[in-house]
Amino acid sequence: MRKVYVAGVGMVKVGKHVDKSLRDLAGEAALKALEEAGNETPEAIVVGNMLSSLVEQENLASLIGDHIGLRGACGFKVEGACGSGGAALMTGYSLVASGLFSKVLVVGVEKLFERPSNDVIRGLAYAADADYELIYGITFSGLNALLMRYYMNKYGVKYEELAYWSVLMHKNGYKNPYAQLRNEITLEDVLKSPVIADPIRLYDSCPLSDGASAALLVSEDLRKATDTPVSIAGVSNSIDSVDLSSRLELDHLLASRVSAENALRIAKVSLREVDIAEIHDAYTITAALSIESIGFVEKGKAPKAWSEGRFSPGDKPSLNLSGGLKSRGHPVGATGVYQLAEVVMQLRGDFPGVSVPAEVGLTQNIGGAGSNITTIILRR
Amino acid sequence: MTTLQRVWRLKNTILNLVASRCSSCGYITYPPKMRCPVCGSRELREEALPREGEVLSYTVIQVPAKGFEDFTPIIIALVRLGDAKVLSEVVDIKPENMSVGMRVVATVRRSAETIDGGVPYVVKFKPLKL
Repeated sequence: MRKVYVAGVGMVKVGKHVDKSLRDLAGEAALKALEEAGNETPEAIVVGNMLSSLVEQENLASLIGDHIGLRGACGFKVEGACGSGGAALMTGYSLVASGLFSKVLVVGVEKLFERPSNDVIRGLAYAADADYELIYGITFSGLNALLMRYYMNKYGVKYEELAYWSVLMHKNGYKNPYAQLRNEITLEDVLKSPVIADPIRLYDSCPLSDGASAALLVSEDLRKATDTPVSIAGVSNSIDSVDLSSRLELDHLLASRVSAENALRIAKVSLREVDIAEIHDAYTITAALSIESIGFVEKGKAPKAWSEGRFSPGDKPSLNLSGGLKSRGHPVGATGVYQLAEVVMQLRGDFPGVSVPAEVGLTQNIGGAGSNITTIILRR
Repeated sequence: MTTLQRVWRLKNTILNLVASRCSSCGYITYPPKMRCPVCGSRELREEALPREGEVLSYTVIQVPAKGFEDFTPIIIALVRLGDAKVLSEVVDIKPENMSVGMRVVATVRRSAETIDGGVPYVVKFKPLKL
């Protein structure tokens, strides 16, 4: 397999973009990434997206590819629910690593603010099992609330300990110009926010978001002539059951553990060497389960660890310097590509928000309630 | 939105709570699968789950998905039935009286209208009164 480098990245500020369509958002991020890479023309475009059917649009690679002048290029969409961006990156990586192409553009895009929120909430629940979960009126928040109460009950973790994660994320995201929620919050704000799906409150949850992010992946000979080229040292994707009912364990993300172990092995990196990571904290409970299943701390210990200052900027690893899904936002199928762009910028030393010196970075992007997870190891 | 056809197709697994048990390693899974998620065996047999069990976890949904507005707040629980777990709604109880570990029993109830105008019946759970 050939080595794969990230030659350029581009992001659109995450938020509510009433004035921009799905193709506008994707095109803007894509052209930024290509520009950063010296205006290369990619041979293929891989799009990560989950819910474009909500805006009555499929055939995304052709739509976006044509919009940015790529007629004749190879193109298709990859879907893995909220983990679509990570899955698209793995596909793009494979196209370059295999030698099939040397320049592949990966674009993650999501346009949610086109429909009423109850339509969007139902759409997000398409990541659940339609026959055995959605039929009872479960929402995506509801599934995570089931995991949260189970975890709190099993490990004696208090709601406030989990909620503190949100405060930490807003502190980081406050300084990220691409973040959706750029305001600092207090623990009291979280405790006073309305209940969505008990015990999950509004501020335990990521917001609904529009957004797009892109990366140009290239072979070694085409990597940008810079002092700080960033390589994708390892990538792996793993699945688990969509339904929570048949999970072997409700307090462990199997797909996170397996994909992290595989990605680290491919990258020949140990978890201790990871300086920074962007993890998929759709809810505070998702942060805890992610941190523990990747292996940064033991089961049941993550909330105590972050309450004591672990994972804050400068610690090893520093987590979610972008503000994570909680503050940066969660443009579903684009999130995995945002995470990659953020870590690439951190490793190059040009991330415009909270930044730390780093050599090795990790991204973990989750689809469903832990059922489709991509882990990527990036190295300067 | 579900359809009448889908509910009809699922009538056995949903109304009779039919799981699949692996003949090789004994692992039981609901919903049923075509291959054992633990050992990979294809020798699975259908097994109806007990209709009484205990609440492992629950949530009270205040912000519903489209189509479930009339059912909100919706109490959804993961219920342990024998060696398997089942996710469904809990009825006949106020949210504040829910607790982890409480005993519940399956009951057939109406669900949200299907996209083609049908009124489906599914299994929900209610508190077990001894």
